[in-house]
Amino acid sequence: MAGFQTAVKKAVTLPCTVRTLSSGVPCAPLLNLAARAPTDGHGHGHGAAGPRSDVPPKWAGGVARSSSSGLVSKTITTSPTSTFTTPRLFHTSATNKDAPQVPDAPYQAQSDSTNRALSYFMIGSMGVLTASVAKSTVADFLGTMAASADVLALAKVEVELGAIPEGKNVIIKWRGKPVFIRHRTQDEISEARSANWKSFRDPESDEARAKRPEWLVMLGVCTHLGCVPIGEAGDYGGWFCPCHGSHYDISGRTRKGPAPLNLEVPEYEFNDAEGKLIIG
Amino acid sequence: MSGVANTFYNTLVKRNSVYVSAIFAGAFAWGIGFDVAVTSFWDRWNQGKQWKDIRDKYATPAEED
Repeated sequence: MAGFQTAVKKAVTLPCTVRTLSSGVPCAPLLNLAARAPTDGHGHGHGAAGPRSDVPPKWAGGVARSSSSGLVSKTITTSPTSTFTTPRLFHTSATNKDAPQVPDAPYQAQSDSTNRALSYFMIGSMGVLTASVAKSTVADFLGTMAASADVLALAKVEVELGAIPEGKNVIIKWRGKPVFIRHRTQDEISEARSANWKSFRDPESDEARAKRPEWLVMLGVCTHLGCVPIGEAGDYGGWFCPCHGSHYDISGRTRKGPAPLNLEVPEYEFNDAEGKLIIG
Repeated sequence: MSGVANTFYNTLVKRNSVYVSAIFAGAFAWGIGFDVAVTSFWDRWNQGKQWKDIRDKYATPAEED
């Protein structure tokens, strides 16, 4: 405690730093009144050693010791005083650089081709990664629109053709709808092909409806209001819809009644190796 | 070494069209290669557990189905 106090109270020689009290009186605390000018005069023009020539005369003011605010300097002459306080910061040591070993000159490559290929290679690799990420993102997004496996599994139906004798109908369910498959006899084929189809309500040739003349495959949904027609019935030896009396011929074409269109033919193909018909 | 680097620069990078096409082609090839690598790793990691590995034990008598 004692050492701290002596350290605080030690008088140092500082330039007169005057600040202004709120009353307008300039104040210079810790001013060493015992300091004397150096003997050499140190070149600011006040000649030989002696009383300081820059000390203001007694009548112009003076320094007094006050119990409340330390030393108080009173100036009776009108002198400009500071209007705001600026702390003086003393820098007595050389500037300390962050990294003194770094040269000031900017980096200069030895030639144009130094590291050029490596830089472009890194850029290109990033491009490759980015492009493949973008591609797989798009592909995954499109994949979400595809039908799921359980839907695809129901999308196709296989029918054993050898089990259907000539002149018989088979009705199977495909995508929730009935499908008529008829193994037509030779008479029925010639009847279907010889009809004057251009005069029908929905003109369509039998060749366009059946890929193979002996197999007629079509959706069993009446094109009028969606009933299921009855096979081997009606005026034309084909199908007859009991709801509103539409008649279809042996090629499934509408011939009579309110139905506006022929019975729809789904996509199908034959698998000859296994003797199967694949609908869908 | 610098010969390889300069060859790479002169053949692929110098023209931007070539550079970008090479990047896209590389992305395509890299995607396929990544798929193949991951699939083969998966097959090796799960060796003996997948259906294609144990199919012979079960599927032979059911062949007449």
